Amino acid sequence: MKWARKKSPWIIHFNTGGCNGCDIELLAALTPRYDVERFGMLLKGSPRHADVLAVTGPVTLQVKDRLVRIYEQMPEPKYVIAIGSCAVSGAPFWDCYNVIGGVDKLFPVDVYVPGCPPRPEAIIEGFAKLLQKMEEEKRE
Amino acid sequence: MSGSMIKVIFGPQHPALKEPERFILNTEGEYVVNAKVRIGYIHRGIEKAMENRTYLQNIYLSERICGICSDAHTTCYVQAIEELLGVEVPPRAKYIRVIVAELERIHSHLLWVGVAAHEIGFDTLFMYVWRDREIVMDLLEQVSGNRVHYAMNTIGGVRRDIAGEKSPKMLKGLSLLEEKTKQYIEMIRKEQTILKRTIGVGMLSKSDALKLGAVGPTLRASGVKRDVRKDDPYAAYDEISFNVVTNDGCDCFARIIVRCEEILESINMIREALKKMPGGEIRVKVKPSIPPAEAISRVEAPRGELFYYARSNGTDKPERIKVRTPTLANIVPLCKMLVGGYIADVPIVLAGIDPCFACMDRVLIVDSRKEEKRVWDLNELRRYGKEWYGRH
Amino acid sequence: MSREEEVLEKLKEKFGEGILGVNIQRQRRIFAEIDRSLLREVLSYLRKELNFDHISTITGYDYGDGIELIYHLAYEDSLELSVKLKISREKPEADSVSDIYPAAAIYEREVHDLLGVEFKGNPDLSPLILPDEWPAELRPLRKDEKLEDIKSAIEAEAERR
Repeated sequence: MKWARKKSPWIIHFNTGGCNGCDIELLAALTPRYDVERFGMLLKGSPRHADVLAVTGPVTLQVKDRLVRIYEQMPEPKYVIAIGSCAVSGAPFWDCYNVIGGVDKLFPVDVYVPGCPPRPEAIIEGFAKLLQKMEEEKRE
Repeated sequence: MSGSMIKVIFGPQHPALKEPERFILNTEGEYVVNAKVRIGYIHRGIEKAMENRTYLQNIYLSERICGICSDAHTTCYVQAIEELLGVEVPPRAKYIRVIVAELERIHSHLLWVGVAAHEIGFDTLFMYVWRDREIVMDLLEQVSGNRVHYAMNTIGGVRRDIAGEKSPKMLKGLSLLEEKTKQYIEMIRKEQTILKRTIGVGMLSKSDALKLGAVGPTLRASGVKRDVRKDDPYAAYDEISFNVVTNDGCDCFARIIVRCEEILESINMIREALKKMPGGEIRVKVKPSIPPAEAISRVEAPRGELFYYARSNGTDKPERIKVRTPTLANIVPLCKMLVGGYIADVPIVLAGIDPCFACMDRVLIVDSRKEEKRVWDLNELRRYGKEWYGRH
Repeated sequence: MSREEEVLEKLKEKFGEGILGVNIQRQRRIFAEIDRSLLREVLSYLRKELNFDHISTITGYDYGDGIELIYHLAYEDSLELSVKLKISREKPEADSVSDIYPAAAIYEREVHDLLGVEFKGNPDLSPLILPDEWPAELRPLRKDEKLEDIKSAIEAEAERR
């Protein structure tokens, strides 16, 4: 079960109110030039089947509950990757009234990919590090 | 209106989660009879935040209002501040602004063609277009050092020059893009899947487009010849010759054609700008504090008229910055387009105004005849659209 | 006479003392301050007689002693005329102009959300951009609302619910 999961992790992506910069680079990572699917990673729609939650955006108040619920819906073991400086810490929006700022204020994050936005290569490296972490935890 | 709720959720969230609705559509059978909107998914309180940062810091913030048209935002912003200061930007900087803005328009329109193809279920086209879009991403990176958020603009000019050596690469890239775009246009005009899903779909008459305040390609695809670059010129646009692309179709198909043809226009504009670009400095120094004044700046962003109103108060922080993005202006027209159409058309009509995808994330459909609560996610809606069109 | 001058002259002719001030800032940028009671007549005149058929947006601005509303209208997408009027802060209301400019409906809704202005006659002033758990008395663009206060008020409201 775990071996199968590591070989092809299913990812659910959620934009928590970002400018879309990270989303388009994440999407670019799926396209032929970067092709993250060769790692066996697939973007899926349902949290119930996802192994990894990829979050972009600074987490606005509007979406906070939804984000937390998605996380709770995911089965164990689950992993979180925060993509972009907004998801990491809130970045330029940290003091905005409608922004929580940083996914780890709500639940633990396994891999942080800073950048505004991070390039597709950096995002892929983030996923590679995550795969490594998943592999290590499997071995323990 | 009595009715059942067919909640349609856009985005990869689980359908059973309870969330605030964003679009409320009243339906009767297969038709949408009324549309109401509630946005706010990405409301970050930027206008308030801008009052707490210096004019220079606010460039960084305005850039991040949208990652797809960030240059349009910074251009519009710095122009407003330059007007508050009464500062004239050097001619070379104006040309560089045009070149970067048009490169951005190309990337944004290509991105959109890919997304629109995906909405119809035409993923091969999405992959091809996004692969070719990498050509313009490379050019943007050569020019600015970054693929997204190019940070080219500053108050008083631009931060980086476009030196001669970058031009041959640029011209080569542009020729390649031109060739590909022409191929796409030809294909789009012939491809039955696309034609069936877009011709006569999402109708917005010329008079409605004007009356309801539509902007950008959405407006021009209803036959209205308006473009801020032509009508209220800024940067070096008054020295560049170009056509304002319009189409009388008034439907989703027209919106696709307008954007594709705008890509071709942008390519020519960049070529002309590279040729005509004068020498000289690229920025002038400005003072950090601005005496009380007000200014309005307008820019033709890829999605339409982008509007900034700025007010200074004698300090180094603004008194008020008001931002009106083109997507907001197109929402009332969008509601009009949805009414009278099929539920199956909702994804492609939404895509037709080229919304910031984060903005349009949820849809609630209220059926006035049936008494049931149904929950749909975007994939189901797309599949429904494909199947529906397969049967009709 | 330039188009800018022409428009302002016509406004002064038609509304006399109702026009409290005019300003030609530069080519294609003009401003007119009007008496608040004339909002609908002025906008109707601009729309029907002078063909300002596009409204770019409505800016709301809290200047301390009151709230200023600025209606940004465009003639042929080119000449921008900003019509300003002042309303009270304690009871901020104005007439809706959404029947004259249908596009104004959404801009009025935004100003209502962020500043608390009531636009009488607007069929739908439900929240546009603020979240559901937003406390109703909190209007973020008001100058007396500090960021820290807003944040703590939201947290308190969220606890309550």
